[in-house]
Amino acid sequence: MEYFRSGLKSVLGTPPPGEQPSGAETIERLVERLKSSTLLDDRRDACRALKAMSRKYRVEVGAQGMDPICYILENDRADAEIVGYALDTLCNIIDPEIFPEEELPEGTSHRDINVGEQFTEIFIKNQENVALVLGYLEEFDFRVRWSAVKFLNGLLANRRKNIQDIVLVSPMGVSKLMDLLGDSREIIRNDALLLLISLTQANANIQKIVAFEMAFDRLFDVISEEGHADGGIVVEDCLRLMLNLLKNNISNQNFFKEGSYIQKLAQMFHLPDSDPNEGWSAQREANILTLLQVIRSLVTPGNPAQVVSSCQKVLHASGILGSLCTLLMTSGVPVGILTETINTVAEIIRGNHPNQEFFAMVNVSSDPPRQAIVVLLMSMMNQKQSYPLRCSVLYCFLCYLYRNETNQAKLIATLLPSATSIPSLTAGQLLCSGLFSSDSLSNWFCCVGLAHGLADNPAQKESLLKVLLCPRAGEPPVSLLKQSFLLLQQSIKVHSKLGVLMLLSTWLSHCPLAVQHFLNIPDTVPYLIAQAATIEHDENQELMQGLCAFVLGICVIFNDDSVLNLTKESLAQLILKRIGVDMFLDKLSEVSRHELYSRAAKRPQLDCDQVHEPVLDYEFCKLYKALEGPVSRCIAEKSGGTQNGGVGYSDSSLEQYTALISTQNKEIAELKAKQEALTEENRQYREKVDQLEQQARQLHEHNIVLRSQMNSGNNAASENNSNSAYPPPPPPPDNRDVMIRSLENEVQNLRLQVAYSSKNNAEVEMLRVQLYESDTKRKELDESLEKLQLDQDDLLEMLESREHKLEVYRNRLIQLGQQVDEEEAEINGTVF
Amino acid sequence: MAYAYLFKYIIIGDTGVGKSCLLLQFTDKRFQPVHDLTIGVEFGARMITIDGKQIKLQIWDTAGQEAFRSITRSYYRGAAGALLVYDITRRETFNHLTTWLEDARQHSNSNMVIMLIGNKSDLDARREVKKEEGEVFAREHGLVFMETSAKLATNVEDAFINTAKEIYEKIQEGVFDITNEANGIKIGPQHSPNNPSLPAGPQGSSQGGGCC
Repeated sequence: MEYFRSGLKSVLGTPPPGEQPSGAETIERLVERLKSSTLLDDRRDACRALKAMSRKYRVEVGAQGMDPICYILENDRADAEIVGYALDTLCNIIDPEIFPEEELPEGTSHRDINVGEQFTEIFIKNQENVALVLGYLEEFDFRVRWSAVKFLNGLLANRRKNIQDIVLVSPMGVSKLMDLLGDSREIIRNDALLLLISLTQANANIQKIVAFEMAFDRLFDVISEEGHADGGIVVEDCLRLMLNLLKNNISNQNFFKEGSYIQKLAQMFHLPDSDPNEGWSAQREANILTLLQVIRSLVTPGNPAQVVSSCQKVLHASGILGSLCTLLMTSGVPVGILTETINTVAEIIRGNHPNQEFFAMVNVSSDPPRQAIVVLLMSMMNQKQSYPLRCSVLYCFLCYLYRNETNQAKLIATLLPSATSIPSLTAGQLLCSGLFSSDSLSNWFCCVGLAHGLADNPAQKESLLKVLLCPRAGEPPVSLLKQSFLLLQQSIKVHSKLGVLMLLSTWLSHCPLAVQHFLNIPDTVPYLIAQAATIEHDENQELMQGLCAFVLGICVIFNDDSVLNLTKESLAQLILKRIGVDMFLDKLSEVSRHELYSRAAKRPQLDCDQVHEPVLDYEFCKLYKALEGPVSRCIAEKSGGTQNGGVGYSDSSLEQYTALISTQNKEIAELKAKQEALTEENRQYREKVDQLEQQARQLHEHNIVLRSQMNSGNNAASENNSNSAYPPPPPPPDNRDVMIRSLENEVQNLRLQVAYSSKNNAEVEMLRVQLYESDTKRKELDESLEKLQLDQDDLLEMLESREHKLEVYRNRLIQLGQQVDEEEAEINGTVF
Repeated sequence: MAYAYLFKYIIIGDTGVGKSCLLLQFTDKRFQPVHDLTIGVEFGARMITIDGKQIKLQIWDTAGQEAFRSITRSYYRGAAGALLVYDITRRETFNHLTTWLEDARQHSNSNMVIMLIGNKSDLDARREVKKEEGEVFAREHGLVFMETSAKLATNVEDAFINTAKEIYEKIQEGVFDITNEANGIKIGPQHSPNNPSLPAGPQGSSQGGGCC
């Protein structure tokens, strides 16, 4: 501090004796100097002094100095030192924390005004300012680059969203940041990591660009440099950034998988053996924990199924699943790691048969060797284990059964009486023994575990009915179903009851045989009805009562009427009578409206934050969602039927009904007769229609013949005269019946046809006229021909007389001794 | 993962010209007729073989909408190849090519191979841009040109593979600085001197799915 004070003195000159200038005054003078000095040295000194005062007098420096400092950033970029001071000053005034030496304006506490945030807002109002700072990231000088990184980190802490947007639109903004990861100066690289973690939060676009800029390669380089899982906090930061890039970002997950980065993760599990007495270092724990989260981000059930399954495959093939299973069975692993490892294994095997198979084969090298899943279930039953750990085991077990009928069958098979004695403890036995446990949480876990062994698997629902238990030595065996009901009846813990109710719902749904068994157990229906009909309830009992109603509903809709007194109908009536439709539906809807229900329905993993609260299971919620509708509809319908009829029928109403029925019978008879008559009528009409159609066809044919006759010029008009009579139009149709109406349509069609044939007739008429015309023409022609023939006769006569004359002349010529041409004579001879 | 080289591609061009469809056809061999607007950028990958060498293509399919332009610009710098796509049935997408090209040239490294693609060649009846026009444009700007149909898978393979060939040739000629991964080219693990022993698994073959 003394150093700064002397520095200040040198900048400001010695103050007049006896009068210390106030902080505000000093800052005013410094800012003035910063603005007006023409010498770089002076400005630099002023800036250095401002930086020194910016922690104690943050508000004053920020209020007065912001603009001049930004001006410096813009115009003094050549001088690294002053830029460094300017950035440091800004960094101080926007710092989200309060400095210990900070002097707050009178009458305010830091809570009232978040000074850092306000200055951030002022600074980023001009986007150019942020671009300037981003530009300084490219400056190699340590003071400038590091200060710029720190300052950006501060800005991000205060106004992340705004800064993200600005970085996205500034050219190569993200690239500049990514380049920092390659900086050989560790402090810059490490701060850049923090900067990127903050920048990539909840912004898919930035996440993708960062991944594109080879973030994963850079990060694995850094992780490797820093010593993998046993590296320091930098490794954790790298993994946190990786987690940011992958979480909920499908594109990046694909890129991660395609880029073979999953295989690189596998190397991180090569953990050097730690001293068992020493245990894990806190940093190794943090690193592995983040690593597990990275893996889970790839296979979390919320991702698209295709991405999950391809990642599961790679996680198995790369040996990560194997490493995790080894880790599970290693002693000395901290419980937090163990819990998260179990959760991770769970999600890697969930619904993936080869992986589930692999997990089933994992054994613990104990004496005798046991299946890992059995050992895990044992710790689930152990009340001394932590609650999250027990939850994770259940989750893992559920994932092991999820969509795997083989594993479901194996689980149930271990409970069935079989010829071969089962050598050691099995998963099924553990679950059943858990039903008798005095620990309500164990009851709950075991019920849910068993329920998942039955989910969507009707065959196992029926086999489980055969299971008999011997709760106490010397007593007759009880069926598992009955034992579950006894637990429901006798337990005083809501947790246990909810567990059993969920098991029963799963078991009885879609399995009439199980319903039949259940209804045959004495007291089941009265108990459920009593619970569901209870009006008052304390905390969480509404869930229990709702589930009782639900089980009752399942007994109704999956009832095959095989239990004499409790058929579908009678059970429904019982529910309506004892509980009432409104109350029943109320109880049902209370479940789906419950906060715990919606929380459980969110994701398959158990919500284990609340230790003492009873919880519902994810798969059960799915079942409930699917069946709540059918159950309420079924009961509501039954109530609709009975409300109209009343409960008991009086004689008068009976008579009324008889009368009603007889009148209805009469009506039916009448209607039948009517219908017959109409059918007959219809038949007649049909015949007529046929006839008419025939006629129409004939007419049509005639018409064609006429046309061809006309074309050939023959006179056929007289023939047509006989066809000019049409069939009479059909009688107007009766529209008493639909059938009649269809007939009407047909008649309509026919009419059209008739109209068509009348059109043909018109054509015939026309043809006739034409014929007449041609006739007259012909007569004319005949006359002229006659005339011509007469003419010809005349001409022939004339010719003959001439011939005669010619003969006379020739003879005369011959007589006169004139030679007559032979040829001429011959020609004349041939012509005549 | 056994590959000799890894190339990074980007696909650019106006919205609705079929960029995502080209990628889907190339990586998954299927066609999706419904236009699903790309938000920002989507990723796809496939293995191909050139000159007997396995080459991994990592492809970033960008959003064509103007609103995403500033985001998609961030991808130019790190790409070794770009597919610049227009729609032969929409003249304006062809007219915008100059802008796209300027943008690409400005933000990318100078050696980036750009392939000009006239997509939707199956819709010849609605064609607005002649094939010759595309050829002329490509010649003028030094691009490789091809007409494709993402719907019928016509030339889609070739478009991606020819681009890779061009890059591969440039590497052989020594034009590309392959030690700088910022150029969008990475040398495969078995080619680099210090090959970290990766656990061998069946995923090697499974991921190399669509080699030709």
